Amino acid sequence: MESAFEVKNLTKTFGDVTALDNVSVSVPGPAVVGLIGRNGSGKTTLLRHVIGLYLPTSGHCTTLGCPSDKLGSDELSRIGVVHQENRFLEWMKVEQQLRYVSSFYKRWDKDLEQRLVDELELEPSARVGTLSPGNAQKLGIILAVCHRPNLLILDEPISGLDPITREQFLRFLLELLHQDANTIVISSHVLHDVEKVINRVICLDKGRIKADASLDDLQERFAEWRVTVKAGRLPTHFEENYVVSQEVDSYQARLLVKGASDSLDAFKTRYGVDVDSSPLNLESMFPLLLQENA
Amino acid sequence: MLIAIDHHSGVPVYRQLMDQIKFHIASGLLNAGEKLPTTRSLSAELGVNPMTVSKAYGYLEAEGILERRRGLPLTVSHLRPEKIEVQKLHRLRQSLAPIVAIARQLGVEKSQALELFGRMLDDAEDQEES
Repeated sequence: MESAFEVKNLTKTFGDVTALDNVSVSVPGPAVVGLIGRNGSGKTTLLRHVIGLYLPTSGHCTTLGCPSDKLGSDELSRIGVVHQENRFLEWMKVEQQLRYVSSFYKRWDKDLEQRLVDELELEPSARVGTLSPGNAQKLGIILAVCHRPNLLILDEPISGLDPITREQFLRFLLELLHQDANTIVISSHVLHDVEKVINRVICLDKGRIKADASLDDLQERFAEWRVTVKAGRLPTHFEENYVVSQEVDSYQARLLVKGASDSLDAFKTRYGVDVDSSPLNLESMFPLLLQENA
Repeated sequence: MLIAIDHHSGVPVYRQLMDQIKFHIASGLLNAGEKLPTTRSLSAELGVNPMTVSKAYGYLEAEGILERRRGLPLTVSHLRPEKIEVQKLHRLRQSLAPIVAIARQLGVEKSQALELFGRMLDDAEDQEES
């Protein structure tokens, strides 16, 4: 199967600012990718290259097997995008905006559109310009999925939605995955929510890839150890190279460790301690990913 | 089959699925020959990625706990009773590990801890009978 997108040695500068710095990443479908990173880390810039909206300063980007600066109507009709900021024709009604956008696509699914308008409780006769940010977000989502794209790109799609709508939306994404969409890319810093649906994580920081792995692998790689001393005192500092973060007092310590499950028994013996090891969720792992040198 | 996934526990979802399916089998809620939900219906029901469900099913198949005959739904394998017994003890051991750590931190004597565990088992049995 063709890969959803592939980026090779991509660098993008805007004047003096380097937004992406020699980024290489390949996403073969099917996958639900969480693109995570702090503000200004390059998430949106990367996604805009994938859909051909930006041209690389150097390097290459291929989307659905086609160089992304040459995407034609065939490829574009297989891509759906929800932009961070929706730009609509504000004087239109919701239903007019839907008719207008649907006219560009051969594969527009009218039934799906109707279902989503009902489920997300969007008022068809409302003026687009008067929609609340949350409702505008919903409209953006409907406009991006009703042509049943194979690659769905969502740039901060859920930040404006209330918790119930977010949950609805995430479930709907999984449904799409069964049907047409082979690959969904969600950029977000609401890690709590995206953790439920993604199976792959790409972490960007200051324009560089910090982590690119399956979520399962990351969850198995990192852990929190609560260390309790059995006799004597703990050292003031643990030198083990798998310890990535530590808070230590004389009798107890809280360590964040990486790739250390095989070293646990040796650690216990060496220091004469009890260790309660627990896994980390994506949110607690995130600061550690930023320290990675991928 | 009642499965509850905690998305924020940090435990990979495929592991939670595997653990809970094994628990259902060990506790007799899922019996040999019983059908499992399809990947698609389970992922829809739990709101998890279908790839995660097939990963869990795949590992359970590889462990011989589930089996798939060509063209038929996935079912629970006929496991030897010893193997189920091993599963039960393994599971209990997993749950007891943090309790052991707490007992040691509190400095509770081994004999006291054992007596407490025994008493609680008796109480649970009594409650069931009454």
